[in-house]
Amino acid sequence: MKREHEDAGRMGGDDPMAMGPEIAKGKMVPVMRTGDEMECGVDELLAALGYKVRASDMADVAQKLAQLEVAMSSDDASHLPQLAADTVHYDPSDLYAWLDSMLSELNAPPCAQLLPPTATASRGNGHSSTAAKPSAAAPPRASALHDFKPVVSAASVGRVVCDTEQQSEKILSPRDPKRMRTCSSSSSSSSAKEVASSLKSATEALPVVVVDTQETGVRLVHALLASAEAVQQENLKAADALLKQISMLAASQSGPMRKVAGYFAEALARRIYRHSPLPQADRVALDLLHSHFYESAPYLKFAHFTANQAILEAFTSFRQVHVIDFGLKQGMQWPALLQALALRPGGPPSFRLTGIGPPQPDNSDALQEVGWKLSMLAESIGIDFHFRGFVASSLADLEPQMLLEPEGKRRDRDGVEEAVAVNSVMELHQLLARPGAMEKVLGTVRALRPRIVTVVEEEANHNGRTFLERFTEALHYYSSMFDSLENGGDSGADGELEEQQRHRAMADAYLGRQICNVVASEGTDRTERHETLGRWRGRMAQAGFEPVHLGSNAFKQASMLLALYAGGDGFRVEEAEGCLTLGWHTRPLIATSAWRVGPAADFAL
Amino acid sequence: MRRPEEEEEEERSSPGWRRIPINDNADLLAEILGRLDGRSLAVAGCVCRLWNALARREAVWEVVCYRHVASAGASAAAGGTRSVVAALGGYRRLYRLCIGPALDRLAGVRRRQGPAAAARHVSLSLALSLFSIDCYERLGGGGGRQQQPPPTSLLFLGKPVDVS
Repeated sequence: MKREHEDAGRMGGDDPMAMGPEIAKGKMVPVMRTGDEMECGVDELLAALGYKVRASDMADVAQKLAQLEVAMSSDDASHLPQLAADTVHYDPSDLYAWLDSMLSELNAPPCAQLLPPTATASRGNGHSSTAAKPSAAAPPRASALHDFKPVVSAASVGRVVCDTEQQSEKILSPRDPKRMRTCSSSSSSSSAKEVASSLKSATEALPVVVVDTQETGVRLVHALLASAEAVQQENLKAADALLKQISMLAASQSGPMRKVAGYFAEALARRIYRHSPLPQADRVALDLLHSHFYESAPYLKFAHFTANQAILEAFTSFRQVHVIDFGLKQGMQWPALLQALALRPGGPPSFRLTGIGPPQPDNSDALQEVGWKLSMLAESIGIDFHFRGFVASSLADLEPQMLLEPEGKRRDRDGVEEAVAVNSVMELHQLLARPGAMEKVLGTVRALRPRIVTVVEEEANHNGRTFLERFTEALHYYSSMFDSLENGGDSGADGELEEQQRHRAMADAYLGRQICNVVASEGTDRTERHETLGRWRGRMAQAGFEPVHLGSNAFKQASMLLALYAGGDGFRVEEAEGCLTLGWHTRPLIATSAWRVGPAADFAL
Repeated sequence: MRRPEEEEEEERSSPGWRRIPINDNADLLAEILGRLDGRSLAVAGCVCRLWNALARREAVWEVVCYRHVASAGASAAAGGTRSVVAALGGYRRLYRLCIGPALDRLAGVRRRQGPAAAARHVSLSLALSLFSIDCYERLGGGGGRQQQPPPTSLLFLGKPVDVS
């Protein structure tokens, strides 16, 4: 008669023996039955491990375990994950009942499709390949047992699994008992990377039952990165297989992670299948997305407010001012500046705005509409306002003479030349797509001799040399971004307004387009070439600009603005060498900097 | 039945007492109403026609606004501010759309973070900036756009924006 607790005794001991081979060999060591002496008739040794097995059931339990072991060792499609998933619901201390249910569910003998455990098991045990099968049986058995111990204390888990120590480094992790370990979890160890990728493709057919969302989150990220790596290595088949897994894993997530995974998966799919890039969306639709992004998150407001403050300070005491906006869009930045100029001590200046925008497909003049609205506002608050719109498909097409007023109109009544400000909110990075464009534009800006140049850019490195680099960076950046949109907009006591949800959906779509561009496009199509503040600093310095420190007023205004956002705790305004950054928790996401022409830059036009 | 009149006679004769029918003196009433906070002032506007008219006075709301904002040099350039605010929609609207929701939001923040959190004031310049953006959004395009989407830039303050 097989004794269960004798094996348990061996498990509890220091001798790391695999249980499986012993039983398979049918060795039986007669041990005195001690169950009768236990109170409540519970087997003593197993009770120490956390199992409550009635002594009277011991024989049956042992028998069923043996059956289970045999069932698991046969070659067939593995139901192991399924078993593991099902039985995690049972009370592990009731070993008998569990075994009963397990065996009743097994119609076809399952097989353990565990390649690395086999490999490691053979390595660990030093078994030959013929013995691989029984040792393959051991780790799944042990891991199966280990699986069903979520409530067992860590100590006993440690003791139980010590018999599979050799195999345990890769599979088992006693510290986290609350996990369903399928073989693909070995991917979390770095040494098994290549095994992991082959595993993932092998196990993709298995139904992945999710128990722990956190772990699937980690798996999701790993799958995304592995897919990107495969794309970089031109291994499109593997990438495609991983994509399927990604979509399955993403379905289990909720909230921002799910959206991020969805967008990245879609972008990867576009890249793999060489779909045409996202069609150039209707101008109206793009503006709509942009304005919803403006409203749902503080980033654009922060950008506008800090840039306006810098421009305001640069314009003090000038009676004629000229602002050149590289991306006018809806002109949402300028009402606040107009109001501030109207209220400045000394009265408002004469204000000229030159707005630059891309050509529209339907020939409507969006720039003029914006200019008209702004002039209405300016008239009502008493500012002398002039507007000019420029249509240019790329900023590099602009020449300084086009933008400046003719010499006669450029001076105010005292003969002082007008103050020029150049404002660029998330426009410069697109120039990096074409070689030489950036230098030309910066040269043009310098030739305008502006008092101040305000540059707002995303704080990210999406222009790395390799695809994987860009992908990884983008994944982190947009995860933070989506997270901030999700949690930053919480209105606390009030319920989420349906309108706010709609705006959030649009803002998500706006970011999704960016993601698609970063991941799926190449060459001149890839216009979202974000770079970090450090690189922009270097670029501007090289072009002959010197930094202007954004004052404490800008910082205060930004902080107050953030205080009004309900999730204001998560947003952080930081000051870095005179530049302001807004970020979500520890990650800066957008940076404002101000520049003026340096002394050495006296180039001829 | 003569008791109240007798009482009045007695009251009027005692020294140091004067009865001013408040509804007869609109300016005085406005002065008093101006010391209320925003919500109470709005409630006061529901009392009767006179009070309603007074509660709509820009001057009253101007006082209320200035009391609730921390603005450096409030008295400076007050005249200029008045015209700008009037052009953008008036102090009553400024309070309703920007200052009021902002104060509510900050109060909520203070409640969450405990009384130890530094008292934050809504700054006038910030409120005016937001107000101007909202006004701009309401301007609507010229001919050609039938349905103007409701202005959304103040939605983040948490109150439904009144599309009136």
